[in-house]
Amino acid sequence: MGNAGQKKRRAVIVGGVRTPFVKAFTDFVELSTIDLGVAAVRGLLERTGLPYKDVEAIVWGGVILPSASPNVAREIALDLRLDAACEGMTVTRACASGLQAITLAAAAIERGEADIMVAGGSDSTSNAEVKLPQKVVHAMAPLALGKPTPSDYLTVLSKLAPFTDLLPEKPRIAERSTGEVMGEAAERMAKRNEITREAQDALAVRSHQRAAAAIASGRFDDEVVALKTPDGRWVHGDGLVRADSSAEKLAKLRPVFAKDGTLTAGNSSALTDGGAAVLLMSEEKARSLGRKPLATISSWSYVGVDPSDQLLMGPALAMPKALERAGLALRDVDLVDMHEAFAAQVLSVLKMLKSAPFARARLGREEAVGEIDPERFNVHGGSLALGHPFGATGARMVTTMANELARTGKRSALLGICAAGGLGAAAVLERVEG
Amino acid sequence: MGDLLLDVAASPQARAFIKSLGLPIPLPERLAREPGPWTASPLHDRTVLVGATRGATLVGVLAECLGPAGADPFVDGPAELLAPFVAPGETFGRPARAASALGERAKVHGLVFDASGVDSPAELRGLYDFFHENAGKLARSGRVVVLGRAASDATPAHAAATAALEGFIRSFAKEIGRIGATANLVLVEPGAEARVPAVLRFVLSPRSAFVTAQPIVVSKRARGATEPVLVRSLEKKTALVTGAARGIGNATARLLAQEGAHVLCLDRPADEAATSQLAREIGGTPLLVDMSAADAPTLLVEAARARGGIDVLVHNAGITRDKTLARMSAELWDQVLDVNLGAVIRTTEELVNGSLKDGGRIICLSSIAGIAGNVGQTNYGASKAGIIGYVRAMSERLADRGITVNAIAPGFIETRLTAAIPIAIREVARRMSALGQGGLPEDVAQAILFLATPGAQGITGRTLRVCGGSLVGA
Repeated sequence: MGNAGQKKRRAVIVGGVRTPFVKAFTDFVELSTIDLGVAAVRGLLERTGLPYKDVEAIVWGGVILPSASPNVAREIALDLRLDAACEGMTVTRACASGLQAITLAAAAIERGEADIMVAGGSDSTSNAEVKLPQKVVHAMAPLALGKPTPSDYLTVLSKLAPFTDLLPEKPRIAERSTGEVMGEAAERMAKRNEITREAQDALAVRSHQRAAAAIASGRFDDEVVALKTPDGRWVHGDGLVRADSSAEKLAKLRPVFAKDGTLTAGNSSALTDGGAAVLLMSEEKARSLGRKPLATISSWSYVGVDPSDQLLMGPALAMPKALERAGLALRDVDLVDMHEAFAAQVLSVLKMLKSAPFARARLGREEAVGEIDPERFNVHGGSLALGHPFGATGARMVTTMANELARTGKRSALLGICAAGGLGAAAVLERVEG
Repeated sequence: MGDLLLDVAASPQARAFIKSLGLPIPLPERLAREPGPWTASPLHDRTVLVGATRGATLVGVLAECLGPAGADPFVDGPAELLAPFVAPGETFGRPARAASALGERAKVHGLVFDASGVDSPAELRGLYDFFHENAGKLARSGRVVVLGRAASDATPAHAAATAALEGFIRSFAKEIGRIGATANLVLVEPGAEARVPAVLRFVLSPRSAFVTAQPIVVSKRARGATEPVLVRSLEKKTALVTGAARGIGNATARLLAQEGAHVLCLDRPADEAATSQLAREIGGTPLLVDMSAADAPTLLVEAARARGGIDVLVHNAGITRDKTLARMSAELWDQVLDVNLGAVIRTTEELVNGSLKDGGRIICLSSIAGIAGNVGQTNYGASKAGIIGYVRAMSERLADRGITVNAIAPGFIETRLTAAIPIAIREVARRMSALGQGGLPEDVAQAILFLATPGAQGITGRTLRVCGGSLVGA
């Protein structure tokens, strides 16, 4: 990887788009994860003008997968009537699913499995399936699967009694291993890393202001495709960004995860619906088609940390690892883009990156990874402002950073994403010359 | 076997009722325990309040231990006492706070006092001040640990002060036993500092539920690595446990297997069913041998060779044949001495020659009866005291090979053996301990497991009591 790749095949990012990101249970409530994926990929192919038959494969990331058709990638290809030979796979790595799909596609291209692939992700949090308790499912099985007799119905009734725990379960983003809701984990991280409410709110305000500025300046116009809802309305832009966000306004919000806590709806990312897709090609193919490669993925890294400790600390380990693999130091990279699940989590990770004791104990190196200049950090806002449709976030970040490198002529960008289960993800993008 | 008082005490209503009667019935506290495998942070989210005397030298070791182990440290003392906690606190998100940051009614899981600076009785006043001030903050099943310097070449005044620490711990353990809390003294020999954190992880965790009122000496005597493996630490290791069919041996075999060890489960041929079932459940190998038979050492060596040697040897098999000395037949004397001591020595001598690997562990079951003595147990008491002498001598012999040799002295443990004791005596024996109850086989097994782990490299030649602070044993 890196500059050694003159002769080696390398995958390049040729383009990327996303749907508008909107708050769950609003404009996209009728659109499923697959619909959002279809919209993103259709938009990508329209914007890039790539003939449908040229897509060899789709890799898709998602978190809340539809249980009747979990291979979203293949469903997208079929719904869009891409070539029947366009194969598809769907991956899940919690909030890092979108990035995972992209790095898998890059690896496949670099191995010579394909020349042109689409990768991305989508999630419709509005359509999280409401589950029946397993007790009901198991008791009902004889009725659903056989030819039930009246006595079967009685048996089922007797199995279900007492009827107190039969209500459908409310979906919640809780860790399976610890039972802790993600916001509670982030709340504990804020306390343990001594991250103040003010610092969290300030980060959130900056995120909103930068995202609003990007929207106002038309910076996102190339990246966002309008989407028509089933009731015929067009949604053109992101729904969560508040240009008028301010520290005073955020300070009024009440903590949501703990009575004496510091996390509020304002400094936590919201449940969001949306999709994003990236077009990857082998560099050779891109050049032969006369397309300008925006960036290449020099390295990536996925890590795990103990979810009962600091659930969302993964990027503090993944980002240095990805940098090392790319042969870069933090000070060498021009841009840093981090997924903002919670301001507290972002600030905790940043604090660890600039901590020498952390570097010594957890990374086995003498010096801190480094401090990140706010001017290079999340330059067009992040998930706090834009929202976080789980599977789409990684593809959104890759798209925005690849475009940023191509537009500004800067050399490199570091991405970092935290994810449920104590996972961390990171990648280094580098601009492709010429 | 059931402890009625413990069950009664578990119910708040029953507790209140008994208290309202004003009867002098001690209601024991149900002890917090940790049955699962060791984790990298065994002190996860436990708050620990730290104090120290002037000139204390172990605060740094303590600070380096608590953060990684998952504890939230609070510090009671001058600002400079906080300094060693800053870096580990930042690294692991466990920043040390001043004791004043604790809420008015907040409880802490641990009180740790570094008394390593004490070298005269007058300086013990700091010990009094810290615990007098903070004892009320100790949570149920809490832990008290005092750190000191082992007095080897010190002045007589230092020796007196160190011994005083031991006396303090013994009495304090009795006072806090009623809330299920324990108190122990960790004495550190010069150069053994790096071996202290693993010991603290044990004594500050719920795994040491029945270990209280005693000194634990950490030395650099046994050669070996100082950076111990913390999780699945017995992976790829083989352990031999005698008397594994039931009780303490059974619990020990299960815990060793849980940390990844392959366990050779040894018991008498008569106990084949129970032994085989255990071995099946934990993926070990049953080994049916009568330890008192002449060919036992040979059979053990063969079994060890078949595994390419063993790493952990637990001598747990033992018998009682109680009679007052006047009524004791020579046969009863011989039987007990041979099974409990003779067989241990015979088999160990064979196994240390080529079968027990360097860096290995020998753990022999002694008993409080071997320390305090019991009526009707001259034979048993002699054999169990003999074990204490044996491990002391063997530890010296094997130290250069990195092998540690220790004894475990259980007090009143709820087993088949103690269930056979007449109820009146049994009740008294249970309540004699500082914790007001009998221990469980798992409590002893946890202590054995700890000594078997790489983290216990600093403990050798010693006898660890698992008695809940009692001096009545069986």
